[in-house]
Amino acid sequence: MRLRRLLGYNLLTAVVLGLVGFYVGWWLGHQFKGKSLDYFGDTGQNDIALFLAYLTGVVGFLVGLGFANYPLQRLLGKPPSLREKETTGPGRYFGLCTDHKVVGMQYLIGIGVFIFIGGLNAMLIRFELLSPTSEKFNANNYLTLVGLHGTMMIGMMTSGILGPFANYLVPIMIGARRMAFPRIEALTFWLLMLAGVILMTTIGYGGFPTGWTGYAPLNDQANMGMDSYIVFFALVGLSMCLLGLNMLATVITMRAPGMTWGRLPIFVWSVVSTSVLMLLAAPVLFSTLFMVALDRTAQTGFFNGQAGGSAYLYQNLFWIFGHPEVYVLALPGMGIILEIIVVFARKPLWGYRLAVTGMLGVTLLSFLVWQHHLFVSGINADLRPFYMLSTELISIPTGLIFICALGTLWQGRIRLTVPMLFALAWLFNFLIGGLSGVFLSDVPSDVTTHGSFFSMAHFHYTIMGGLLFAFFAAIYFWVPKMTGYAINERWGKVHFWSMFIAFNSTFGPLLVIGFLGMPRRAVTYAGYLHGGNTWVSYSAFVLGASMLVFIGNFVWSQVFARVPVGPNPWGSKSIEWELPSPVPVHNFDRIPTFGPDPYPYGVADAPGGRAAVVPARPTL
Amino acid sequence: MTELADHSTDYGIVEREAPEVMARNLRVAAHLWASATLFFFAAFLFAYFYLRTLDSSDVWRPTHVDPSLTLGTLAVVALVAAAALVRLGLADHRAERRSAWRIKGAVALVLLLLAVALQIAEWATQGFGPTDGPYASVYIGWTALLAVFVLGLAFWVETTLATSIRYRGMGSEAVVPAGHASGDADRAEPDIANPVSLIRPELEALSSYAMFLAGVGVGTWIVLYLL
Repeated sequence: MRLRRLLGYNLLTAVVLGLVGFYVGWWLGHQFKGKSLDYFGDTGQNDIALFLAYLTGVVGFLVGLGFANYPLQRLLGKPPSLREKETTGPGRYFGLCTDHKVVGMQYLIGIGVFIFIGGLNAMLIRFELLSPTSEKFNANNYLTLVGLHGTMMIGMMTSGILGPFANYLVPIMIGARRMAFPRIEALTFWLLMLAGVILMTTIGYGGFPTGWTGYAPLNDQANMGMDSYIVFFALVGLSMCLLGLNMLATVITMRAPGMTWGRLPIFVWSVVSTSVLMLLAAPVLFSTLFMVALDRTAQTGFFNGQAGGSAYLYQNLFWIFGHPEVYVLALPGMGIILEIIVVFARKPLWGYRLAVTGMLGVTLLSFLVWQHHLFVSGINADLRPFYMLSTELISIPTGLIFICALGTLWQGRIRLTVPMLFALAWLFNFLIGGLSGVFLSDVPSDVTTHGSFFSMAHFHYTIMGGLLFAFFAAIYFWVPKMTGYAINERWGKVHFWSMFIAFNSTFGPLLVIGFLGMPRRAVTYAGYLHGGNTWVSYSAFVLGASMLVFIGNFVWSQVFARVPVGPNPWGSKSIEWELPSPVPVHNFDRIPTFGPDPYPYGVADAPGGRAAVVPARPTL
Repeated sequence: MTELADHSTDYGIVEREAPEVMARNLRVAAHLWASATLFFFAAFLFAYFYLRTLDSSDVWRPTHVDPSLTLGTLAVVALVAAAALVRLGLADHRAERRSAWRIKGAVALVLLLLAVALQIAEWATQGFGPTDGPYASVYIGWTALLAVFVLGLAFWVETTLATSIRYRGMGSEAVVPAGHASGDADRAEPDIANPVSLIRPELEALSSYAMFLAGVGVGTWIVLYLL
């Protein structure tokens, strides 16, 4: 039995088959000969071999996990089924499991590991920038370091909220027992993990010089490390697209009786908006990377000016994906913040419809602003006003969501728990991120700040200050539900305050340093920026240390202390808190029926509050 | 435990799910996947018009870059005919003419594979390569992607057809025998009640997606061969 388990479909088998697949592809790739492929012989570089190796490695890994069984059996005519290995103990966390709660936990830990690695890269970047001259890394290695940090963080955090929290919570919040397509749900997770590992192998192939955006013509000229970047983002794109599809299908088709669109929790609305973006934007990324891969292997000329292509085309295609991607990162954070604020202000969500309108407005407009990333790349001057205006317009729906958060806080009975602190910090950070973004949407100011640390600080305020703070808010808020064990509140507050202060101490000055002329992705800088950079580096180290506080607290609370929490430690009215902690594998004994109000916080809970709402508990 | 759930409840509660839920999943997912498919190809459409308009270095489409209209037309006709046959097969299935659907499904499968084979023949005989300018680049990338999607569609047709053939003697309400569960090796029985009844919803979803992909094929043909 043990031997069967060892040799069966599991992570170990997957790794072995993945490695075998990799080397088979590598060997196969070296068998290709052709007119347009001769140049590989001159350079010792064989991109075809590496692409094939990654492809066959991915296939081998997925076969090892058991993903091929179902499609093969369907080919033989067996009928469809839904679930795999949902009740087989801790082993289910290390293989193909279709329980959406297991997949949520897998995402949380898996993404957490890669974010930690991305964070370590950031520490190394700041370590190098302690000196205005190149000290620890040469320019090429520094570029790879910056690229690894950015690519890892952006790629992984695309699913940073939807992966762990939407997978875990959305079916429960809408009263379902599963996701629409449980195997696809599991597949999205494993694709993302494979992508992370593949990106890290870039170090063995010389890294990549393009940063996270992978611009042409560098992406064509770079050595084989670029292939790792391409495969990484292609897998992330595929994972995103399937995740978005699954989420939308789940919310559209699996809602329990009474859960009308107007009663969806605001977090689910944010997931719906994000999923639309994922479903439609990620395919553009995938196709674009396919073109880059063809340029690098078959010598097509999509982005090569000498061959009749255009590097500018890449920028367009990348940002058609890239700007919606920014909102893929931001929207779920907004949903989390609104979801948490209502609990700790003990009030119904102020302006529920306004918030939903804001989210849908952001979703729509985010497809119409991409060229503001190209203001200094040679964009037709006549197009600038349109994209400037559309970019500025997007601040209106974003502002609506912000107003809903503030309106909910107004006269609320506020409890400053750790999740609430992170939620409030999100408001502060995102405000700075949004205001600094106005400078980048305006053509005149963008011309002077583009490519500087100003724009870098701006997007760290929106993405780290927005998404990562929301991510931690969600962890402190929902992990006790997911595991059944509390996270220590006191150490949580130590984590929060150290992170919040260090974050602002890092990225606030970077806005100034950028305005003073510090360029992005440069390993050396002018002497007059040394003092500011030193301050920022030490702040960043404190920021890094705050993450260690979190990890220590998390591991201690969940592995060693294990203080059980009841079903509803925060006094929330949302349905997941009506279930035991952790949630049983079947979610509900019977499918619930929902009442009329998604946020029934009223007079009984908040004396002096504004609304008297009839509590509407889900009924069986 | 709470009012809504208890850890001690038997896991079997999730078994034998009503097939209507999965039927809804399939119908909606087909439309969602179609919208995603559109954006996979939108990138190539953008590249086509961008590079054609730009025509940098004046090498958009050298005269020898001229893929065979005959092979391209035959490939797209095969794709459209396959989609139409799936649609007609759905009508047969609705009218309880199961054997007629299975014949049409089998022909559709052959046509889809033929479409891919014709595309491969086109690549092998076209007389130009990927390095021959931006049109050649777009042509090869776009058609390769379309071939992958057509293969995916063929897989879907095959699985639906195979299930239909395997359970051809059974009504849609028939109980699938033990040992016929797919996927999880530890599972003896399907976790969907009457999974055979899902053939029709699957066929409906398949049909709508096949028609959509045929539309993409026609669009591809117009852009790459006629413009």
